[in-house]
Amino acid sequence: MSTSQLALAVLLLPAAGAILLAGRGWRLPRIVTQIVGPGVVWASFAGTLALFFSNASGDFTYWTWIKSGSLEVPFNLLVDNLSIFMCLVITGVGGLIVTYSVGYMEHEDGPSYARFFTYMDVFIFSMLLLVLAGNLVFLIVGWAMVGLSSYLLIGFWYQRRSAVLAARKAFVMNVIGDVGMILGAFVLFVTYHAITYAGVFKGIAGPSCPPPSLLVTCFRPIPTDSGPLELAAFLLLVGAVAKSAQLPLHTWLPDAMEGPTPVSALIHAATMVTAGVYLIGRMHPIYDLASYAHGAVAIIGAATALFAATIAIVQTDIKRVLAYSTMSQIGYMFLAVGIGAYSAGFFHLLAHAFFKALLFMAAGNVIHAMHDEQDMRKFGGLFRQLPRTSWSFLIGSLALVGVIPLVGFFSKEQILGAALSKPDDTLALAVWVVGAVTALITGFYTGRMWWMAFGGKPSPERAVEHPHEARLVMLVPVVILAALSVVGGFIQMRALGIGPSAVSDFLASAVGPVRWEEGGGVVMVGLVTMVLAALLFLAAYRVYVVRSWKAWSANVPWAQRLLERKYYFDEIYAAVFVRPMDAIAGFGMRDIEEPILDGAVVGTGHAAVVGASSLSLTQSGYFRNYVLVFVGGAIVAAVLVLIRSGS
Amino acid sequence: MSSMTIGGSQLDASWFLILGAILFTIGAAGVLVRRNPLVILICIELMLNAVNLTLIVFSRQLENIEGQLFALMSMTVAAAEAVVGLAILVDIFHVRDVEDIDELSELKG
Repeated sequence: MSTSQLALAVLLLPAAGAILLAGRGWRLPRIVTQIVGPGVVWASFAGTLALFFSNASGDFTYWTWIKSGSLEVPFNLLVDNLSIFMCLVITGVGGLIVTYSVGYMEHEDGPSYARFFTYMDVFIFSMLLLVLAGNLVFLIVGWAMVGLSSYLLIGFWYQRRSAVLAARKAFVMNVIGDVGMILGAFVLFVTYHAITYAGVFKGIAGPSCPPPSLLVTCFRPIPTDSGPLELAAFLLLVGAVAKSAQLPLHTWLPDAMEGPTPVSALIHAATMVTAGVYLIGRMHPIYDLASYAHGAVAIIGAATALFAATIAIVQTDIKRVLAYSTMSQIGYMFLAVGIGAYSAGFFHLLAHAFFKALLFMAAGNVIHAMHDEQDMRKFGGLFRQLPRTSWSFLIGSLALVGVIPLVGFFSKEQILGAALSKPDDTLALAVWVVGAVTALITGFYTGRMWWMAFGGKPSPERAVEHPHEARLVMLVPVVILAALSVVGGFIQMRALGIGPSAVSDFLASAVGPVRWEEGGGVVMVGLVTMVLAALLFLAAYRVYVVRSWKAWSANVPWAQRLLERKYYFDEIYAAVFVRPMDAIAGFGMRDIEEPILDGAVVGTGHAAVVGASSLSLTQSGYFRNYVLVFVGGAIVAAVLVLIRSGS
Repeated sequence: MSSMTIGGSQLDASWFLILGAILFTIGAAGVLVRRNPLVILICIELMLNAVNLTLIVFSRQLENIEGQLFALMSMTVAAAEAVVGLAILVDIFHVRDVEDIDELSELKG
């Protein structure tokens, strides 16, 4: 099988699974759904592995989709190390999560069960299309389709009003991003008269560059006309910000936790929300030249990292803590790609996919054991009762904090180290400060989450006295991810200056090599930061379990309130956008639609009815009445004739 | 010119017209006030014949034959009308006895 066929198979296998399950799934026995649903994802993973091991690369055009004047949109797939990397994450972690869903969703009835796996496979297909697309049009198609699958899966339990509202919110926010993406693609097309990545990047690099071997362009030191480039970069950034739940378009992600937990793990932690990072990395020739937009990426990332981490300190819903943590960690990735440390950002993407999917699925096991209770205040003391889940959760938590030698340490240290040691860049230094502070806060809120849920004694409010450990199908993926979180870091030990640097070497052909080396002392700074974060993790024990230390919030109640209300973002958006829109719509409904438009239509009908019924009174049915009218009319006519002839 | 010779005696034309008007008025009043369907039909015949009389009088007076032709036409129509009217009545009488035309008011609006 040639590379192009293999790439197409990787893309289309999940789509085939989705079509089968959508058409016949609810009529076939449940076992078919259980095999086909995860099976196609694993098949796709196998294909991706084949691409990976054959060092495949190329830009394969299958057919021309639209040809109109100077616009030619081919259906082409771009297979390079970046897309293979993303496909490995999507199908690998995705396969584990879809397998986990076999157990997690077992309480659903037949049609819902098949529907869930249909949506999951649609999502995997959309996400693969997003990362494999070789032109902006199919990128946007994939971009919109992952938004759609996210909408469908957040609203999976459509009987719940809150789930439907959350799905709608996510969709609206994502459409804002889609509009940005489409406008960005327009700007690029108008400027460079090309819609494929290769064409656009060739246009950016200019004719003096040698034809790009795939997408590594030669760098022009001074862009001659960076205006449209900056504009396109900012518009694409709007899409990335909306999809990755960064400030200020982040409010949908915490609400998206209304969806089933595997959905949160797959879409809202491991894959879809990292699409923004992929976009910036894929478009790096643009961002390398558009320095203002590039700086904005770093600033947004740093701001979101800090902002989300502070909110996570006070949340009590375990999934919402993880959601804010996800926002914060994606902020790190934005920070990394924003300062140009692309491979560091992607390494953190990989690491985050491991430990955050692990945390979500372990949290799902806990939620299952607690009979759908998500409030951590009602957990407590689960460590003894759910040992396997607890150990996995602990590993995920420590990876999130960045405890050496877990994967989170290497990835986070690489980002912070890159920021600290970037030469001649005060912005990088500033985002390093924010990133380091965020790392400390991460330690604290992760510790709080861990100790509240698993440490101490069972909460008096706990509903389930003797929780049961999850089934094997729900434990194995968790344990595999825990193992990956432990050993994953060793593929990229650049942070320590020793050992392999597999991720950055692998991605060098797609996003460029590492542009600057870390200084020697930087590693020490990173180590100290991570140690402090780990100490804060332990400090949370004294605050939330032993309670020998007074909770920090007792001294600053206003800050606690500010965080609990999530900096009032929802309230501000409601006041600035939602309520004025509601008012305008209400005005149109109440004062235009109902009285004027509807009034005219209804009035016409009403007048006809009233007129007809009053005229029908003349039809008395009495012969003499008709004759009387007739004779009377004849007399009147005769009189009129007489008057006329007389005058 | 306002008198006509009929059977050797001179008669003023206005007498005939007055007679026609009286007959027509009797007919119209009968249609309006009588309740029996048959009587109403007869009254309609009376009105038609009053009109025929008027037509013929004017025909003679104006020495225009068209008036008499029109009277013949009118009689034909009257015959047809009588046939249709009587047929309807006979049909109604098959179903029920109608003594008062007001009983036939089912088609009121």
